[in-house]
Amino acid sequence: MDAGTILSIIIGMVFINNFVLSKFLGLCPFLGVSRQIKPAVSMGLAVIFVMTLSALLTWLVYRFVLVPLNLIYLRTIVFILVIASFVQFVEMVVLKKSPALYRALGIYLPLITTNCAVLGVTVLNINEFFVNGKPISASFTLSLMQSFFAGVGFTLALLLMSGIRERLDLVDVPRHFSGIPIAFIVASLMSLAFMGFNGFRF
Amino acid sequence: MEIIIPILVLGTLGLLFGLGLGIASRKFCVSTDPHLQKIISCLPGANCGACGMPGCMAFAQSLLKGEISLDRCRVVEEQSRRKLAEVLGIKLSSQLKQVAILHCSGGNRVKDRFQYNGLKDCVAVNLLLHGQKECVYGCLGFGTCQRACPFNAISMSESGLPVIDAERCRACGKCVEVCPKNLLTLAPVTSNIYVACSSHDLGRDTRTVCSVGCIACRRCEKVCPVDAIHVIDNLAVIDIDKCTACGECKKVCPTGCIRDNKFNIQEG
Repeated sequence: MDAGTILSIIIGMVFINNFVLSKFLGLCPFLGVSRQIKPAVSMGLAVIFVMTLSALLTWLVYRFVLVPLNLIYLRTIVFILVIASFVQFVEMVVLKKSPALYRALGIYLPLITTNCAVLGVTVLNINEFFVNGKPISASFTLSLMQSFFAGVGFTLALLLMSGIRERLDLVDVPRHFSGIPIAFIVASLMSLAFMGFNGFRF
Repeated sequence: MEIIIPILVLGTLGLLFGLGLGIASRKFCVSTDPHLQKIISCLPGANCGACGMPGCMAFAQSLLKGEISLDRCRVVEEQSRRKLAEVLGIKLSSQLKQVAILHCSGGNRVKDRFQYNGLKDCVAVNLLLHGQKECVYGCLGFGTCQRACPFNAISMSESGLPVIDAERCRACGKCVEVCPKNLLTLAPVTSNIYVACSSHDLGRDTRTVCSVGCIACRRCEKVCPVDAIHVIDNLAVIDIDKCTACGECKKVCPTGCIRDNKFNIQEG
């Protein structure tokens, strides 16, 4: 693992293959929580946290349970199980240990339970860092890093969107476009802009 | 065998996670204040926001901390209010129940100035030459107040006017806010005489467009024994503080726009 690989993961996950704007995963929170900047950032942080730790857990489950038992085809359902239970667990722990953090993230955690971006990144890790069921070198670290920066990319998209939507509230949008319709249009334009990053190749 | 292993693996994983979550929920259980639950169950739960807090839950929390007065919730029923006061251990300040009343009785009696085919909404039509009615002060009859009411207390009658169900009305003030003609006000249930007109036009102009409008004849003013009703700017206005609801003005009103609001609610 050299600096080039790391850089390509960072740029790739944040810009070129941005989960929201290029892969179109996790669109529900992208439109639901992007009304104001503050909740958008909180949601982004929660997603980074959950993505990284879910990647850790699913990597371990895949490597030490599914591959030895030859059950690779159960990947999706097992990952959903792992992620959902893990998010529930995190919610409980946060509620107990830090009510302040819970107030900031609490309502977003259940949203993440069924967020396809989280499942998407874990599946992507497996696809990229396992060859024929065997982990490539530094597979674990790469997985964690990829998940973390996928989360960062998600946060970036959310942050940009919320910034735009805060300003959109002040603009005289035609009645039938106001609210979600104009948000969809903005999202599609942003997605077009992010396609420009496709030119980057490492 | 091919089927048993996946079933076992998935089952075991599910069981493990289930157990883990079960244990965690015991271990990390947060004891919520039992008072809070009680308070929330007493509150109306409509999240109308009339108290100024974002919803009933936030109001309950502030209530528990003693940051906000119980009176701020105008919506809560009398019975629940007593219960709340008991839970909170505070003395109840006497507050009269209020209801919304409509200061217009025109409705279908007032003709339209033009045919309106736009959005069926009072605010929308009001933007167009102050509405389609001949009387620019009167009710437009598109039911914006009805849609704004979180308690279904307002219904549109056949005469084209909103009718307020005094029993359902919790005086949250939503309808007062949305009415583009400002025809609705909140009044305590005791003041049951009101002027059902808001027209500031000269008497003769009012008369030509509406048979039940206030024509500023001042007969009510002369007959009132407690000097509670006055014609201000071509419209009779009742001072609620002075009014004894004797009904004298109602008897002499030639157009019948002074009305008796028959609240059949017992004062709490």
